[in-house]
Amino acid sequence: MLPKADSNDPTMPDHEQLLLAVARNRDSTAFRALFDHFAPRIKAYMRRLGADSSAAEELVQDVMMAVWLRADRFDPALASASTWIYTIARNRRIDRVRQERRPELQPDDLMSEGGEEPTPDHQFEAAETAFRLRAVIGNLPPEQADVLRLAYYEDKVHAEISAERGIPLGTVKTRLRLALVRLRRAFGEGA
Amino acid sequence: MTVPAHHPAPELLLDYAAGSLREVQSLLVAAHLAYCPDCRAQVAELEACGGVLLADLPPEPVSDTLFGTLMTRLGETAAPSSPVAAPAGRSVFPGPLRRAIGAEPEALEWVRVVPGVHLSAWAVSAGTASACLLRMASGARVPAHRHTDSEMLLVMKGGFSDEFGAYRVGDVASYETHTPHHAVADADGECLCLLVQDRPLVFTGPLGWLLNRGFRF
Repeated sequence: MLPKADSNDPTMPDHEQLLLAVARNRDSTAFRALFDHFAPRIKAYMRRLGADSSAAEELVQDVMMAVWLRADRFDPALASASTWIYTIARNRRIDRVRQERRPELQPDDLMSEGGEEPTPDHQFEAAETAFRLRAVIGNLPPEQADVLRLAYYEDKVHAEISAERGIPLGTVKTRLRLALVRLRRAFGEGA
Repeated sequence: MTVPAHHPAPELLLDYAAGSLREVQSLLVAAHLAYCPDCRAQVAELEACGGVLLADLPPEPVSDTLFGTLMTRLGETAAPSSPVAAPAGRSVFPGPLRRAIGAEPEALEWVRVVPGVHLSAWAVSAGTASACLLRMASGARVPAHRHTDSEMLLVMKGGFSDEFGAYRVGDVASYETHTPHHAVADADGECLCLLVQDRPLVFTGPLGWLLNRGFRF
């Protein structure tokens, strides 16, 4: 287990550390390192979802601008750097490409009193969970990994996956639910 | 307040986290999350899955000039102002819905369907799906109807029951296509729901033609 850490802690995972440096010090070297790592991946994500190369680069700029401007809202206890950047990329694409609003839950929206989320054991739990999660995704049976990737990369709701692949809806649901059960285990292990 | 007992289908949470769910259904999911710690945890997990998939994508090189262009744009962009604080006082609407509607129930226009049952004039639609609010007086019955497509209800105040269960604040009731059901509001107060449909309802029964007009939005 990692100790409680700040941005000077050498044991802290890299990308999380870089994001905190951007948040705290407006560190442009750290931002460049984040850009070099994530921009080509954000571009690949947008390309998979149908953007051409120049539209994908426009979206990369949008996402990385948001990363710079909103870095102070990043909380490494709640999300790894790649998860946080993924949610920004997903939402920017919905705004720009689909021209829809993304209804999001904000921290002060919770309707139940005293129903706060359990506090993570330590600051970088999210990044550690991502390691376990990566292993679980890598070991999914191919048909489960396939429906999962289609959901994230093809902008298809599960009913559309069923129609396009000629797989019965019940089978798509079963595969997704089996995959979700395995994914949940990756989170249970950290507790 | 207890935690919800009826949740959106797991696939719907996945579609929401993956970003493929359309705006109208996303509104219902986001509103349910305001009540439900378990679904919040599941969505956070599915977003972490999105993070892992993003990190593992084979990178596609970006133009050499992209970083420079970005820094120029950032130089011209003022830092964002901090988000506006939520209005003081409790709203009956969960945050995502409050932001979409921009008014409280008293300020909305309502269309009477049958005595004790009203639909809001406020509605949003995207593709074949639409959402509006459903208000039932205590003990009111929604006339029997069947669905040409799926329907979901999120309870925000009071409660109702039908053949499938009893639904309280925060609960989501989901009905597949062609599932007749008879909702009756609890006797102890008004029931307010967010109603999401994937196509207009078709009413059965003698007053069907009239009700269908009322339910078209």
